[in-house]
Amino acid sequence: MRRIVEHPILKAKTARTVKFYFEDKELEALEGETIAAALIANGIDVFGESEHGRPRGFFCAIGKCSSCLMVVDGEPNVRVCITLVKEGMRVQRQLGRSDVV
Amino acid sequence: MMKTQLLVVGGGPAGLCGAIEASRYGVETLIVDEGVELGGQLVKQTHKFFGHEGFFASVRGFEIARRLKNQLNHHVKVMLQTTVVGIYEDVVVLYNREKDRTFEVQADYILLATGASERFIQFENNHLPGVYGAGAVQTLMNQFMVLPGKRFLMVGSGNIGLIVSYQLLQAGAEVAAIVEIADRVGGYDVHLRKIKRFGVPVLLRHTIKKALGEEKVTGAVVVQVDEKFRPIGGTEREFAVDVICIAAGLTPSVELAAMANVKIEYVPELGGFVPYRDQNMRTNVENIFIAGDLAGIEEATTAMIEGRIAGLTVAQSIVGTDLSREIEALQNELVEFRSGPFSEKVRKGLSRFFPQRTVEFSRQPQTDKGPVGKLRPIIECYENIPCNPCQTSCPAGAIEVPGNINSLPRIDYEKCTGCGICVSKCPGLAIFMVQENVEPGFDLVVIPYEMVPLPEKDERVIALDREGKEVCEAQVVKVLRFPDMTNLIYLKVPAGYSERVRNFRTLKRGNVLVCRCEEVTLEEVERAIELGFTDYEELRRYLRVGMGMCGGRTCRSTVLSILSQKLGKSPGELLKGRFRPPVMPVKFESILRGETNED
Repeated sequence: MRRIVEHPILKAKTARTVKFYFEDKELEALEGETIAAALIANGIDVFGESEHGRPRGFFCAIGKCSSCLMVVDGEPNVRVCITLVKEGMRVQRQLGRSDVV
Repeated sequence: MMKTQLLVVGGGPAGLCGAIEASRYGVETLIVDEGVELGGQLVKQTHKFFGHEGFFASVRGFEIARRLKNQLNHHVKVMLQTTVVGIYEDVVVLYNREKDRTFEVQADYILLATGASERFIQFENNHLPGVYGAGAVQTLMNQFMVLPGKRFLMVGSGNIGLIVSYQLLQAGAEVAAIVEIADRVGGYDVHLRKIKRFGVPVLLRHTIKKALGEEKVTGAVVVQVDEKFRPIGGTEREFAVDVICIAAGLTPSVELAAMANVKIEYVPELGGFVPYRDQNMRTNVENIFIAGDLAGIEEATTAMIEGRIAGLTVAQSIVGTDLSREIEALQNELVEFRSGPFSEKVRKGLSRFFPQRTVEFSRQPQTDKGPVGKLRPIIECYENIPCNPCQTSCPAGAIEVPGNINSLPRIDYEKCTGCGICVSKCPGLAIFMVQENVEPGFDLVVIPYEMVPLPEKDERVIALDREGKEVCEAQVVKVLRFPDMTNLIYLKVPAGYSERVRNFRTLKRGNVLVCRCEEVTLEEVERAIELGFTDYEELRRYLRVGMGMCGGRTCRSTVLSILSQKLGKSPGELLKGRFRPPVMPVKFESILRGETNED
């Protein structure tokens, strides 16, 4: 886990935990955090692959760079850095441009 | 279709201040923001702001966000997790991601405060996960309290690079180095000093050449450059890091402004392509205003002032009240803020749009160090930053920032009582206190400290100098806690050292070893267990415990007993880990010789 437990300025988060799935693996997140934060807290840095097979992760965290696009509950191209994680959510790595529904 | 008098795109400092001013005059306002909470980049700013009290000097960014949110009144509606996807002549289209539907809005006035995006730079493998914008690391670390790695390389020494480096140290991470392609540091000297005191190396005229790793970053290759920024062959150095932070600057997010027919000009001093605007933040399109980083890359204080000017100008147009005096007062604030040497670039850029004025200030630093033997502050602030909390916080009125906030402060040592409030208030952590001969053979140094754990009274520590180098042993004689978390540590140091000591590190736990071969400390093991490592093999991979020459004979049982204590399990329940050959060091040579014998 990569959560900060002790900090000189900030208080550790005490939010309720929710369960979500990454590639069918059940993971724990804190309510109120983004999908990206939850994945990285769980040690997952590779969010997908580019069209040319390069691993991709997130870059800007504020919804501007579109590096963190993932498939969330079946929907591709979700910017996980500005989308909140929800109970039971299913998150998958996006390969290339994914299938556009 | 929704209708509103003012649509504010972006709920950061500029947008919020625009909405606050407009709604104060009853203007019906809608704020649309992509993020999960209001405040923009303020929510991840854990440092204190410069400036003066009227604009939240010495208040931490996330606290400013909270206060601004509280100033919005019932005339303001907020839509979060909503993106403005298009601006047309008669309508603005929003996409609400939560409800998964688009809305159309008709607005009489639009304030665009869309901010900026991270500038990306070119080096081999820069696509790898683990190459993050510095702002992204800050978001993860300070907004969500997730640390995406253990050891970081910072690329860029502007204020963002310096501030994020310091915040990484606060969060318990390691900063391997800061690399800067120019021959001087870009950010404020006080920010630089904060990290140097912890021994973080700053490599000038260096840049990143390559990220190492297959799936994600495992290291970085750094190279020296010549005066034309060309890499010098043979100067490559490798750093084992798991995150590369890019703090190479920001670019205004001009897409929506351009779509709304605002004239976009290339002004490198303001961050690249920026929209045209006048002194009231009005663009060439009558009802469209801009503010904040979109209007030119600066910092949050000027973004807030610009937002207020835009908000008041809109209110004036809608309500009809004459607000010109308020607007003019804010414009004068901007002139004052931008009068310092650090705003030279911004002034040059803005002079493309309208003439720039400056105000005079004193550049004279105080030369005398005060009466020897009296407990007194030493202000190590040598740049003309627009900032004056030292003056306003002093209960004795002993500190003066003469003329205006860009001047260097001066102390009247006769009036000073040695209370230490200025030390805690200074946003640059640039004020210390000293007292010579506090006891025979000892001096006193008072240090502002924002790290965990706090030392305890009477604890012995290692005193460090301005470069983070060890100077001497010291003793903590007092810990003064402040509610805003900049605490003061009173250190007793050997006589004559008060000039040099500017930081310290605790030694109590840092010197307790668990693994002698690899020098893994008790603190590191305990911290790793708190982070979720619960198995000897995991700890071995994470910290290298038991990877040394003794093969784990000395530390295996210790680690298992720490695990058993921390997890409340009996040692028998824990996996004792793998045992690997050779059980004692064997020379490669003898192995090779063995093979030849077999043949």
